[in-house]
Amino acid sequence: MQALRAVTHADLDRDDVALAAAGDHDAFERLYRRHVPRVTSLATWLLDTGETDDAVQEVFIRVWQKLHTFAGQSSFTTWLHRVAVNLMLRRRQRLGIARKRHHDDETMLGELSAPVERPDLRVAIERAVALLPNGAREVFVLHDMEGYKHHEIAELLEVDPGTSRSQLHRARLLLRQQLAS
Amino acid sequence: MPHRFADQLSAYLDDELDLPRRRRLEAHLAECADCSALLADLRAIVAAAPGYSGRGPSRDLWSDIERRLDEPEVVPIGPALRPSGGPTVRRFSLPQLIAASLVMAALGGGATWLVSHGKPSDRPTVQLSDLAVRVPDSTKTVAYAESQYDSAVHDLEQLLAAGRSRLDTATVRTVEQSLQKIDTAIAEARAAIQRDPANGYLSRQIAANMRRKLNLLRAATNAIAART
Repeated sequence: MQALRAVTHADLDRDDVALAAAGDHDAFERLYRRHVPRVTSLATWLLDTGETDDAVQEVFIRVWQKLHTFAGQSSFTTWLHRVAVNLMLRRRQRLGIARKRHHDDETMLGELSAPVERPDLRVAIERAVALLPNGAREVFVLHDMEGYKHHEIAELLEVDPGTSRSQLHRARLLLRQQLAS
Repeated sequence: MPHRFADQLSAYLDDELDLPRRRRLEAHLAECADCSALLADLRAIVAAAPGYSGRGPSRDLWSDIERRLDEPEVVPIGPALRPSGGPTVRRFSLPQLIAASLVMAALGGGATWLVSHGKPSDRPTVQLSDLAVRVPDSTKTVAYAESQYDSAVHDLEQLLAAGRSRLDTATVRTVEQSLQKIDTAIAEARAAIQRDPANGYLSRQIAANMRRKLNLLRAATNAIAART
């Protein structure tokens, strides 16, 4: 007897990618709706606020154009996010966006007090990431949220791998502090 | 207060410490409640981070995106093709555009075939440099491209027929309906272009639909391979 299993997002993606690659707009819209929240957050974290909508559009149009090159060796989510990160970082270079430091307060690193006990930790992290200083935020997003390695981040952001490591540790400490407060 | 080992906790979590440093840190953790608590918190953050749900854009972008989906992709011409006088747009004839499109699509299909069969020596190989040489001779290129295309489609159709039982029925039905629609569109455009051979729109439609058919077959066979 054949075992039944739940249909996962990955299954839905696989079928919709097949249809969208053949020109099916409805299938591509389904992919868009499933993935646009995370792509939007990526754009918010990696670009200035005014760039978000344009960047998200650019990502999905590029993905549509490149769908036929997606070989299915990784998940569609992984592939989509790689395309998104590359486009967003290139966009930043192209526009010469001056990265302002929002909350670059070193004193935030001073106290490492209460433990993190939050049932809605994922949601809380998502909010807290937006408040991180730019350098720490970019590295945290790329490493802990998107799964890039330090040497890849170093190449993408044109920094030293050691800088990537120290910014990551700094980001985690700042997040811990924010989540505990 | 941060401890002197606190700076190593991220590297420890990411498995980046060498063995002696790792052992020293673990000995410290066994005695230090502050560092152990900090490590537990950092571990929780690292574990939760990839699961972020994201937030939607400020407005629904789909209608803007959909409007732009079928706009022709702007392909920059490389420096080797650019005259020294400055940036200009190089124009290709329609047969050349169709041929180039089909060769690229057929190369992609061939790649799928090779992955599936693992016998590269059985297949003719085409280098991109060949394409560059062939493009100026549009008649030969079209014939060559069509034979590559036909071969790739044939291979993929066989793979699809052999593996269709691995796909669910709804997917197979959708793929077959889409293939039928594409074939009909190609046949109608071919009939129309017989009456109006200079019609550029029809030429582009034929090329686009042939490419769509190949992409659909590739995607379907990839889905079969992923479920094997």
